[in-house]
Amino acid sequence: MSHLLSVGALSWQVDKKSILNDISFDLTSGDIVGIIGPNGAGKTSLLKCLLNQHKNWQGEITLNHKPLKQHKPHELAQIFALVGQNSPPIFDLKVYDVVRMGLLPYKALFASDNHRDKADIIQALEKVGLADCKNQFFNTLSGGEQQRVLIAKALVQKAKILVLDEPTNHLDIFYQHQILQLVKALNITVIMTIHDLNLAAHYCNRLLLLDHGNLISNNSVDKVLNPETLTQVFGLPCYRDDDQQNHVPRVYFSPMPATQQVELHNQKQGEHS
Amino acid sequence: MINLKAIKGKNGWIFACLIIVTLVSIVISMTVGPAKISYGDIFQCVVNTCNSPMQDMVIWQIRIPRVLVGLVAGMGLACAGAILQNVTRNPLADPYLFGIISGAGLGATIAILILPNQQTLALPLAAFLGALFSVVIVFGIATLLRNMNHLLLTGVAVSFMLGSISHFILYLGDPFATNRVIFWLMGSLTRVEMFHFYLIAAMVVITLLTIFALHRQIDALLLGDESAESLGVNVNKLRLILLALCAAVTATIVAYCGGIGFVGLMIPHIVRQLVGVTTMPLIIGSALVGGCFLVWVDVLARSALDNVEIPIGIITSAIGSIFFLAIMYRTRKTG
Repeated sequence: MSHLLSVGALSWQVDKKSILNDISFDLTSGDIVGIIGPNGAGKTSLLKCLLNQHKNWQGEITLNHKPLKQHKPHELAQIFALVGQNSPPIFDLKVYDVVRMGLLPYKALFASDNHRDKADIIQALEKVGLADCKNQFFNTLSGGEQQRVLIAKALVQKAKILVLDEPTNHLDIFYQHQILQLVKALNITVIMTIHDLNLAAHYCNRLLLLDHGNLISNNSVDKVLNPETLTQVFGLPCYRDDDQQNHVPRVYFSPMPATQQVELHNQKQGEHS
Repeated sequence: MINLKAIKGKNGWIFACLIIVTLVSIVISMTVGPAKISYGDIFQCVVNTCNSPMQDMVIWQIRIPRVLVGLVAGMGLACAGAILQNVTRNPLADPYLFGIISGAGLGATIAILILPNQQTLALPLAAFLGALFSVVIVFGIATLLRNMNHLLLTGVAVSFMLGSISHFILYLGDPFATNRVIFWLMGSLTRVEMFHFYLIAAMVVITLLTIFALHRQIDALLLGDESAESLGVNVNKLRLILLALCAAVTATIVAYCGGIGFVGLMIPHIVRQLVGVTTMPLIIGSALVGGCFLVWVDVLARSALDNVEIPIGIITSAIGSIFFLAIMYRTRKTG
């Protein structure tokens, strides 16, 4: 099967400090891949290297059979659509205007919107269930609704790969599932960073486990969510108790006394310094 | 080219009204001033010949240049303010915060002291060079700091630095020169000519065309740099082009009209309430409202007091400060 995205021996350093080390994986059309790992593992840095927002990375990234660095910025924007941690707009942007930004990679200088563009915007808003909110201000929507608007923007962008950076941050449980159900129903290739391992288990078909910039595991959800590995990476005792009803792996961590946590933390730091 | 369908609908009606108000303002403002001139006299002068050489001089050499320069200067300042606020994501951004006015002030001070007899040419040129000098320093420092978000703070610092140099030179120099510089810094359209209109209008047209070309990229910045980059925008390059453009248009206006503050800060805030925050309607609206505003401020400047003209910058600053207090009051009530 041909790979949409192929990453080989990717490394990235900042001021001689290694942030990503020798990362290799492939992304096939239709994959929903979750990048998991503790804070500072390099999850968002990996996404930024893929988007070519971090420039001085080493290794090989091939996108659509062409090296990443040979893609022009607007070509990259036609392949990747980012739903990230946006800065809140300072002015009253309407929902329609936010979704309309997705047209940018296809438009020449001076170009304005045609009837088809407008139809695409409305259709994207319908897909995320927000067609009635098109004239509302983006700032006045709830966190979950804002994420759905940004997904509609990504749909207008007609990208092949949807890149989500912590899509469920600051959302309550209902909205967390709503956003990820929506993403899954879109039937496009997705790569996302996500903190909640059980949500990742529910919605992803493959996981990349990162720790201190190293790729610890790249496999199916069942294999990556291994309690021993997770105990090692997250520094807390991990147990697995699969969801029998949905046939999905489920893990939970038990807290340990503070003194023990400090010891384990120091031990982990020692291993990586 | 530019498709006007983008601005139809509710905004279309607003723009149609603004264009009519602007055209009417131009005509009415030409009749107001110390010399009595009627609509009939203006019509006669424009389509045929004037009734008297005196009227010819007043209309063609004073009123028309003054109204037209007021119009394009207002357009340029308002557009520069609107773009700066969008690209720096700072609602308080104003072209003068780059230190343009203090740079121009320093240039004017040096010109008045060194070439006291060549002021028709030397003063605006020196003011323009001073303004550009200040912008280059501000850009240079922000580039060294590798943070374009510090541009406005750098502008404030450079503004104080250049201001203190001007004040030191004036303190040691001739009191007459001090008066001239202070009067010039207050802003005035008294000495403008048609040549100035052509020059400022050309800068405003270049600015508008560039903004129309890049309107989608500028819109993308409204959701932050990372979002814009993911849409294929080269954020640093775009910001540099637009900031340089705003600096050039403001420096040209300052060189001939002196310091006219608050237009770039105030007008875009009003226009956003009328037509929204996206670049195309915001810029067209800001150009029309800004132009119209300055034409009427100049009418006030030349007709409010008998035999004395009020410097235009005093009026814009007075209106601007009241406007800001009003915004603060409104925010307190709603927020």
